[in-house]
Amino acid sequence: MYHKTTGYRVFSYFNYAFMILAGLACFLPLLHLLAQSLSSKAAISGNMVSFWPVGFNVDAYIKTFNNSNFNGAMLTSITRTVLGTTISMFILTCAGYALSKEFRGRNVLMWFFIFTMLFSGGLIPSYILITALGLKDTIWALVLPGAFGAYNLILLVNFFKTIPKALEEAAFIDGASFFVILSKIYLPLSLPGIATVSLFIMVGHWNSWFDGILYMSDASKYPLASFLQTVVVQSNMQNMAMSQSEVAAMSEQSIKAAQIFVSTLPIILVYPFLQRYFVKGIVLGAVKE
Amino acid sequence: MKKRTDLWKMVSMVMLSAVLVAGCSKGESASETAPASVLKDGKYDPPFTITIAKQQDENAGKYINGETLNDNVLTRWGEQNLGIKIQTTLLGGDASQYNTKLRLALTGSEKLPDVLPVYDTMLVNDLIESGQVKEITEDISTYMPDRIKEIYKQYPTTFNPVVREGKVYGMAIAPNLTEGEVMLIRQDWLDRLNLEAPTTIDEFEQVIVAFTNEDPDGNGKKDTYGFTFSGKDSYNTGWVSDPVMIFSAYTGKHLPRQWHNDNGKLTYGSVAPGNKEALAKLRDWYAKGYLNKELATQGAWDALSDFTEGKAGIIIGRPWLYDSVKDVEKNVDGAKISAYPTIQGVNGDKTYQSAQLNDGVFMFNKDFQNMEAFFLYYDKMYDAAFSTGDFKYGYAQGYDYDIVNDEVTFDPTKFNTPLEAVQGVGKMAFTKNTPSVDGPGQSYYDLANGVKADTGVLIQSASKDQTTQDGYRISYENRDVLLPNEFNGPPTPTMQNVWEQLTTMEQETFTKIIYGNEPLEAFDTFVKQWHEKGGDTVIEEVNEWYNQASETDVMTLMNLK
Repeated sequence: MYHKTTGYRVFSYFNYAFMILAGLACFLPLLHLLAQSLSSKAAISGNMVSFWPVGFNVDAYIKTFNNSNFNGAMLTSITRTVLGTTISMFILTCAGYALSKEFRGRNVLMWFFIFTMLFSGGLIPSYILITALGLKDTIWALVLPGAFGAYNLILLVNFFKTIPKALEEAAFIDGASFFVILSKIYLPLSLPGIATVSLFIMVGHWNSWFDGILYMSDASKYPLASFLQTVVVQSNMQNMAMSQSEVAAMSEQSIKAAQIFVSTLPIILVYPFLQRYFVKGIVLGAVKE
Repeated sequence: MKKRTDLWKMVSMVMLSAVLVAGCSKGESASETAPASVLKDGKYDPPFTITIAKQQDENAGKYINGETLNDNVLTRWGEQNLGIKIQTTLLGGDASQYNTKLRLALTGSEKLPDVLPVYDTMLVNDLIESGQVKEITEDISTYMPDRIKEIYKQYPTTFNPVVREGKVYGMAIAPNLTEGEVMLIRQDWLDRLNLEAPTTIDEFEQVIVAFTNEDPDGNGKKDTYGFTFSGKDSYNTGWVSDPVMIFSAYTGKHLPRQWHNDNGKLTYGSVAPGNKEALAKLRDWYAKGYLNKELATQGAWDALSDFTEGKAGIIIGRPWLYDSVKDVEKNVDGAKISAYPTIQGVNGDKTYQSAQLNDGVFMFNKDFQNMEAFFLYYDKMYDAAFSTGDFKYGYAQGYDYDIVNDEVTFDPTKFNTPLEAVQGVGKMAFTKNTPSVDGPGQSYYDLANGVKADTGVLIQSASKDQTTQDGYRISYENRDVLLPNEFNGPPTPTMQNVWEQLTTMEQETFTKIIYGNEPLEAFDTFVKQWHEKGGDTVIEEVNEWYNQASETDVMTLMNLK
């Protein structure tokens, strides 16, 4: 038996060791963050916290949830993610369903979409466009520009294509319309694909910070990622001009840690429920008929 | 098929017209002219709005009582008392994002805000060239209130970046000579080892040797060292955690990374000969373990955690640094920090450090017609610095100060509604730092000399920790060691091409020498290469700029003489 050979055993030990290391590399930073968020300020600034809280307290969490900016940003992010994912998925499933069929001009249309994947207008034209459309300072500026992603479209089209044509024909004979077929047959059958693409979009919305900073001229409208960007990244930046007492008022590391931790939780919580679809969801191109 | 194309046509027509309509209606409302506001008894009627751009720094982003950027205690105050509403229409996060947004606004996709604080000399230059910012020579002369004129008179060089052909396109944001650096030492270590605070480079060496080898914390382990600093970004930040004192001990006023006016000619400090001796010293110390082992990878904030943990004995920084490292007094029993002046140079002179006079410049939209209103508001912002008027104690009671039992307090935990930290109300308007006329710490010096704390500024200073107060007093007493960078113009053409390489080469060479990865002679090679690879041209161009900047007497034109 091949799996009893020494070579195979060495290989699997190596595999296990490697996977454990890779797992730790993902898990330990989070644990460190959690420990920091539960530690006292003095212990953190003295660099004394590793993976276990020193001077345990939950002040940071109380302060985080009492911070109206944080809560507002959290709300914006949730709205954005839900709204963005819904809109995106609506457009993508409609487009994907259509494009999985054969019709004249399909390839041209497909090329049109793929073109946007390869070439983008760049920052300045996008910004001018969003401003001219009057979307600035609204949630639409965050949701609409990325709503139609060609990459996700390709994933969905390919998934729809794997569904037997005969199913659709049978439904037609029974008198189903295109929309009924899409909602009653295609969508339930392609749950793995839809879940995968939804997760991509969700994570994308949750984590993206640059557009928030770019299109919002009021910090209270920032989504969470933009808010965290201003809180976490900036204070590490070498800002020579800070003077007098103002540095002392800089937010504590424990609060930052708590904020980052809280902000990663939703995605971590959503992930396990979608994860089971993943394997099936992106087998794109693996099986050829 | 025919039908489908028609449908497409229709859809695109509808979309197009929707965009057009949206565009038009927006344009109309913008061009609507409001009735002219009149200034009556210090208040505009009807009230009008000044739009501003803002680089949001972390502190300015915290608002209490559900207030926001455009609706807070200060904006309401402005509306009620001056008839001026300040509205942020362009908001940036950190420096690079803010600059990006300003550049995007320059494309004409939206209206440029009326008041633009700009923190990047290159962008200042581009804004002037774009023709979209206002020339304010006349406005300063006419509208700037006298007490503010007095301030700008003291800092003529701050106008250098905004002057083109005898015209002034901006002004420094709240110029004020910033506080100098002090040496923070673990007093308990000094006491245990019977040492005095060092005043010369030799004494400094003795102290860091003792701090490393003689177990100053008495735990029987060799786990301490002398001096922590960061060499990650620059060996001269003039801020916190830098070793510029050691360099200056050998080079005098020629500080690394800084331009110095040497008898009418600007010279670059990093290539001055004395640097070699300074590097030799640091190299020796590093090899013997007296310095932060990771100095080249740790940033300014990281470098101080060793001090806060109780591993390092000396750190240098501005006096407020005490606030950031005082946790060591909590982490380690018996720990005590004292502030001392930086050491003397080898020739008995003082050591120097870089000073900052302002943080960015104000520029104005060329269509902005209300410079008088801007100055009215700006003058009020100075009330807190002068301890006069509405803001004689601070900007807002319950925000940055409070009156408890008839006593003014600046301790946020003692407010009537206790706060975690005071609110930077002064930062809620257009300045990133609250205006100050305290220089490098005059109020602290006055307090130390027995002046009674009866003004807002003095009470606030008196409320600080004793070590911080000592630090500011030392900073003020030694204010003559503060050297502003003489070159504050936009990067010259050659600089734009080679400066990045030159500073990288400089940083690498210095670090490699200190780490012992390259011989000390590498410094000579560096100097030679620096001059050859564009440094000479840069020196020429910088001097050309300097002569040009001081050519026209703009100060007289602005009536600031």
